[in-house]
Amino acid sequence: MPEKDIKLLERALERQKKARLMAEKILEEKSKELYDTAEHLKQVNARLMRLVDGDAKETDDAFINIVDPYVVMDLHMNVIKTNQSAKEFLGFDYTKEAMNLSNLVHPDFFQYTIESMQVLLQVGKLKNYTAKIYTKDKVEKFVQINASLIYDKNGKPCAAQGIIRDITREMEIEDLVAKQRKKMDSERLKYSSIIANMNLGLVEVDLENRIQMANQSFCTMSGFDEEELLNKSFLDVMKVKNKDLVEAKSNQRLEGVSDSYTVEVENKEGKTRYWLISGAPTYDHDNKVKGSVGIHLDLTDQKELEFQKEALLVQLEESNKGLQEYAHIVSHDLKSPLRSISALATWMYEDYKDKLDETGQQNLKMMQDKIASMDKLISGILEYSTAKSSALAQTEVDLNEVIQEIKNTIYIPDHVALKIPKALPTIVADFTKMRQLFQNIMSNAVAHIEREKGLVEVRCEEDEKYLKFTIADNGVGIPEKYHKKIFEIFQSVGSNERSTGIGLSIVKKIVDRYQGKVWIDSEVGVGTQFHFTINKKLVNINQFAT
Amino acid sequence: MKILLIEDDMIETMKFQRAISKLDAKHTLVEAKNGEEALNQLQSSNVMPDIILLDLNMPLMNGIEFLNELKSHETIKYLPTIILTTSENREDLLECYKIGIAGYILKPLKYEDYESKIKRVLEYWDNNELVKA
Repeated sequence: MPEKDIKLLERALERQKKARLMAEKILEEKSKELYDTAEHLKQVNARLMRLVDGDAKETDDAFINIVDPYVVMDLHMNVIKTNQSAKEFLGFDYTKEAMNLSNLVHPDFFQYTIESMQVLLQVGKLKNYTAKIYTKDKVEKFVQINASLIYDKNGKPCAAQGIIRDITREMEIEDLVAKQRKKMDSERLKYSSIIANMNLGLVEVDLENRIQMANQSFCTMSGFDEEELLNKSFLDVMKVKNKDLVEAKSNQRLEGVSDSYTVEVENKEGKTRYWLISGAPTYDHDNKVKGSVGIHLDLTDQKELEFQKEALLVQLEESNKGLQEYAHIVSHDLKSPLRSISALATWMYEDYKDKLDETGQQNLKMMQDKIASMDKLISGILEYSTAKSSALAQTEVDLNEVIQEIKNTIYIPDHVALKIPKALPTIVADFTKMRQLFQNIMSNAVAHIEREKGLVEVRCEEDEKYLKFTIADNGVGIPEKYHKKIFEIFQSVGSNERSTGIGLSIVKKIVDRYQGKVWIDSEVGVGTQFHFTINKKLVNINQFAT
Repeated sequence: MKILLIEDDMIETMKFQRAISKLDAKHTLVEAKNGEEALNQLQSSNVMPDIILLDLNMPLMNGIEFLNELKSHETIKYLPTIILTTSENREDLLECYKIGIAGYILKPLKYEDYESKIKRVLEYWDNNELVKA
């Protein structure tokens, strides 16, 4: 055997020797520990035995520091000793009354308790005995007990000791958690059935925009089966008109933004649909965005209605404009021949008045009168047809000025006075319409006064919502049966041949546009009060002397 | 003055003729039945009027169409053009002033009123320095 090998072996032997010495030392230490423990146990046991034998003083010292309830009982579960904590917990004092612990056990746990006692007697120890008990005050408690047997001098079991832990709260919490979990499960069930059956398409996508889940409604809306959708991008499956928007929104989801937007898509059948998509990011357990969820509402029907409405509005606007143009053309084409007839009649008179007798001359004059009233009628119809359709201008209108202008325009007989007892407000309105409104009523009022001293008054009152105007005269009055009729077109109730029956129907139209009402109070022979209201909201009153 | 009257209605033309015949100032009247005819006359350049009186509602080429044509022309666009119409349509009035007119006269119902209006208009233009080619 070479020298080198021998050296190696010697070294190995040396190492083993050292290891063995170390092991022996550890063994020695362990057995010393064991001995100490046994000694300690012996002392404890001895103390316990003295306790069992009735030496109360020492045990108090031994267990005084135990915070948890501590109970010693004999093998028939009669209480021998408890610490203060157990006294408080169980609610009785063993020094004052006898107590058997089995009386505290809830009936549901009788069988379990019997079995546990057997285990304790056989094994000497009982771990995590858990049961419901009643304290002396009949309060239910959940307890967990760890117990062990106590032996007498001859090594025979004579009693058992146990530490009680009150786990009522823990059990309650556990119970609550279980209930909650059950509720959540049923809730989840409920929602999943809502999700499956709701009329909204629901889609869940991951970070790469691949569809992870699509509900039945979405499949119906899009025309695709779930298999055709899963793990594919929405944009790859469906033709979307505003692709950029969808991509931009998807990116926003990653940043945690949720909002709604409308897209135009083509479903599997190639039909254009409008969807309102409400999207929100979804998060994993670590609060990181894991994708998004989108709720899709099919707006196609509403959109189509909207388009129809828009088209109708454009049509309406056009036809309104057309109507106005038409009214102007008709009025022009009717007025032109009237002018020609009027000119011819004038010339007839001028050129042939020497040859005409008085009747002939009179007839020509009457012809001119008829032409004049016809001309007025045409103007009235034109006004009437534009009263409703033309746009309302919005300017500041001082109604006192309006009345003044009318005063200068219309013919007011000398015996009639026009008065404004209190200054009228300035409103924001269409000047021309306001003048038409007042003028048409006022020219009626001033024309029908037979009294020696005629009086027409323009007054204004205000309530919360409306301005109310009254034009009062002391004229002939209007019989009640005409009170409604006069506001209808072509209904002239006066004896005046020149009245066309249009003026007051224009009044009604204008008042309608200002969301007001028009009516009259009148008594034959006494006078007439014309009232009309206009909605204050539409005329933005900024000053009104009250 | 040399006046070009563009008017399709015969009686309207008669009214105008009669109205100017009564005036002390002597005017020459050139007539055109519509805008097209008037343009042809203006471009043949035999007739270069001092002013134009223009009706709006006419067949073939109406007054506003004529006005647009006139204003796009290099030389004749300077001719003062006065509208003589029955149309009270505000849209028409605004459009005419936008394109460029020298006046907008509404034809009154009564012939006497018409006569006096024409008299005053012509007197006014008689007092003006005219472009005249």
